[in-house]
Amino acid sequence: MLLNRKQSGKRWHLRPDGAPKVTGQLQYLTDMTLPDMIHGRVLRSEYPYARILSVDTSEAEALEGVYAVLTSKDVPGLNRFGIATPDQPVFCEDIVRYVGDAIAAVAADSPERAALALDAIRVVYEELTPLNSTDAALAPGAPELHEHGPGNVLHRTEIKRGDAEQAFANCDHIVTETYYTPRQMHAYMETEGGLFVPDEEGRLNVYAATQHGYKDRMQLARIIGYPEEDIRVVSSPIGGSFGGKDELNVQPYGALLALRCGRPVKMHNSRKESVRAGLKRHPMKIEMQTGMSREGILQAHRVRITADTGAYATLGAPVLNFCTEHCLGPYAIPNVDVEGVSVYTNNGLSGEFRGFGGNQAIFAMEGQMDRLAAIMNMDPWEFRRRNMREKNDPGPLNQRILVTDGLSQVWEALDRSELWQKHQSPPADPALPPWIKRGVGAAIAMHGAGLGYGIPDPAGGRLSLNNEGKIEVAFSYEEFGQGLIATLEIMLCDLFQCSTSDLSIIIGDTDRVPHSGSSTASRSTTMAWMALQRLQTPFRSRVLATASVMSGIPTDELVTGPGGVWRKDQLPAETSEVETPEKAERTKVAEIVAGRTESTQIAESYLGASQYLAKEGVSSGFVVSYAELATQGEADEWIFDTKFDYPTTPDNVVGGHYLYTYAAVAAEVEVNTLTGETKLLDTRHVVAAGPVINPMGYIGQIEGGSVMALGFTLTEDAVMQDSRYVTTNLDTYLIPTIQDIHTNLEVEAIEDLPEGDAFGPRGIGEIGSVALAPAITAAIHQATGVWVNSLPVPREQLVRPLNVPLQEGVSPS
Amino acid sequence: MSKPLDNHWTAVVNGEQKHLEIAQTTRLVDVLRTHLQLTGTKVSCEVGRCGACMVLMNGEPVNSCLVMAYQCEGSDIMTIEGLHGEEKGTLHPIQQAFVEEGGFQCGYCTPGMVISTKALLDAHPEPSQEQIETGLCGNLCRCTGYGGIIRAVRKAGERCVVKETSPEETVS
Repeated sequence: MLLNRKQSGKRWHLRPDGAPKVTGQLQYLTDMTLPDMIHGRVLRSEYPYARILSVDTSEAEALEGVYAVLTSKDVPGLNRFGIATPDQPVFCEDIVRYVGDAIAAVAADSPERAALALDAIRVVYEELTPLNSTDAALAPGAPELHEHGPGNVLHRTEIKRGDAEQAFANCDHIVTETYYTPRQMHAYMETEGGLFVPDEEGRLNVYAATQHGYKDRMQLARIIGYPEEDIRVVSSPIGGSFGGKDELNVQPYGALLALRCGRPVKMHNSRKESVRAGLKRHPMKIEMQTGMSREGILQAHRVRITADTGAYATLGAPVLNFCTEHCLGPYAIPNVDVEGVSVYTNNGLSGEFRGFGGNQAIFAMEGQMDRLAAIMNMDPWEFRRRNMREKNDPGPLNQRILVTDGLSQVWEALDRSELWQKHQSPPADPALPPWIKRGVGAAIAMHGAGLGYGIPDPAGGRLSLNNEGKIEVAFSYEEFGQGLIATLEIMLCDLFQCSTSDLSIIIGDTDRVPHSGSSTASRSTTMAWMALQRLQTPFRSRVLATASVMSGIPTDELVTGPGGVWRKDQLPAETSEVETPEKAERTKVAEIVAGRTESTQIAESYLGASQYLAKEGVSSGFVVSYAELATQGEADEWIFDTKFDYPTTPDNVVGGHYLYTYAAVAAEVEVNTLTGETKLLDTRHVVAAGPVINPMGYIGQIEGGSVMALGFTLTEDAVMQDSRYVTTNLDTYLIPTIQDIHTNLEVEAIEDLPEGDAFGPRGIGEIGSVALAPAITAAIHQATGVWVNSLPVPREQLVRPLNVPLQEGVSPS
Repeated sequence: MSKPLDNHWTAVVNGEQKHLEIAQTTRLVDVLRTHLQLTGTKVSCEVGRCGACMVLMNGEPVNSCLVMAYQCEGSDIMTIEGLHGEEKGTLHPIQQAFVEEGGFQCGYCTPGMVISTKALLDAHPEPSQEQIETGLCGNLCRCTGYGGIIRAVRKAGERCVVKETSPEETVS
């Protein structure tokens, strides 16, 4: 189904957080203030790699208006953090390993005074030569950045199947290429920050963005030496994350300063500090050698992945696992020899980022497929079909995966598309000047969801009827823009035929939500759906049984509906009606959002159930309201919890996925061969991810992911020189603007799932961002004959004198 | 500009006369967010690139991170909090269109984007694609890929031209 507003009909659901966002009334965590708060700042390293000889804070401490100056000796608990491998110091003790490393933190009565205090801290360094590349870090004799070596290797991966060496010897054609991908920056619009508030009961309240409040709480407890229960983490709403706020950033400093001062401390990174200290996408070098038979059937695939993980581990190991899994693509290859290595360097900090290593792998693998097809002089799409895994084949790691038709469906849908058909007869416009060349390319991908085998991936949720008579759900997921709250509303209205004003949705607050895992790895929608599947029956049973007792009507004649329980045959037909703008305004915004929205005029002026009924003039079939039901029995009898794990493959392959989503992308580009500029003209994304719950959110995620991938392909690179950032802000780090995008982007959603599928809608947070780059570079090849192997696409490779004919060839030098 | 730089700053903000005692080198974004608690104006790049802090100064869109107090002394400033429909507390047609078309996700760029759209539609009530691109190229959005924003701006343009349309009629 071509996904757009028109096709979506009544499912075009207006977001409950819309009005507060478009009016500026929504308070993000970095907007929060308290009257007696003070301001925290962090002193970061002057060098990418140096020994700290001494730190003198006395001058800073003596400054008027300075409340605290903290260094490593002031950390009561573990002076380290990191979700998987806690190797990043809160404060460095003796060595700094990147330009974002923290040495001290201060709290003062104004941001200006805090800055002065930072200047007054005297640090004496012995500068060391930074390991500014993976080659330098892996060179014999290179200093070891961490004790837990060996060498500077964080992690290695390996997949070996068959006998690749022998198979290559028998191949008729082999393509050898090395691919390079950039250090992409998340560039979320809201930089890291928040408010840290110690309360009278001795608890610490943390209002700071994260994708996993419970993980933050656990890590903060370890750092400050508190029991976890004494910390409350409030973590939504978030001004964008894309993986970049998954690890702790300002939280350790805010927490320590607030506890030391006994006052609220506000932290808010400047953009420059955010660039300097924050995570980036792992730059990778991927060497690939792929061989095929005379008939064009893949025989052997050798891959060497080198990832620059920077100064600390973060999720560098799982990212490499994911890249390794995805560098085989959705293809059946009998002989495989893959090795990956993630290397510590002094180049900033690499970590999780939408696509999680899949983007790099898919760019490389799809590049190979186009080069191989060209050797065969074959349509590249047909070449892919011949080599695609069969429906029942195991996954890339030879693990069992859930069988779906997704791969062939996205292949076929793209094959049929008008845009891809243009590839057959390369578009030529005689009106264009001769230096403007056009081409069309395409790529396909399978992308794993969830954290993968062997990694704890808990899920769950809570459904209850609260004492206000609202159907309340609580999850530990976060709203960082993706539209989670709207999606939950739709799911609940679908399940209970209720109206949005009957709902209370609670997320992003460890005091109020159960532990249901993180909002990462395209997992939240699936996990919320699965939780509600488990919870709906006990909840509905209790609601209907109670209503039956109250009314004397048998339960099988009752159903849930707007405002409460109805006689089944008299439920208003239009219960999940399309949200009118007027109604959106009166829809109660999820509590977590509304709770911090100063003006309640728009956010909370919703109509209660009784008003709804009066207004609609429908009461004859109405049995009992949710509010009345909630007064029956004890409150905890209305609460239902579930816990389970994200579905994983039964096979023992660490990181191996079980659920995959599939995507095919076609792109048409225009290359100006005088300037080397590439403009994306037209794009079609076909996505097979199960039923579309929230069309507005779905389109938004694919469009947003696609444009983020456009930046990855054409302009984005956080350039470093000698391990220092050259691009320090959004004036030189170029993310796409409204002038750079492909305004013809179309999204086609394939909603089929196998009969009886127990996993429901799959998340689509990442799938829009993983396959555009190879589609664009394939289109560039058709336009210019140049095989691009490096991102962002180097313009100089595409510039050519007018009188030189196009030439075929691999990687022009 | 011969007036001495004292600490007395006045301006009309969202239709209300404001008087503050602040350093004249205070950035407008800080005047708004810190001194007037108008946090709808967002801070993001602080070098005038991203547009998250966009406000109207005497009707013209400006990045409030680049304007110092003395430069906007006595001017008429409109922030996102000053934009509303015919009555206060209702959505302006531009805001309404952003909600209906999904012209935002995380929402952090949205106030600036809406303000730039206001300036765009004030100047070009029926903007061409090129005018939309020019008018909004100073506002970065990392979430939406701009698709929803373009749809919202087009719809808002239609609405702003047909002023008498009632809310019911505008729902398609």
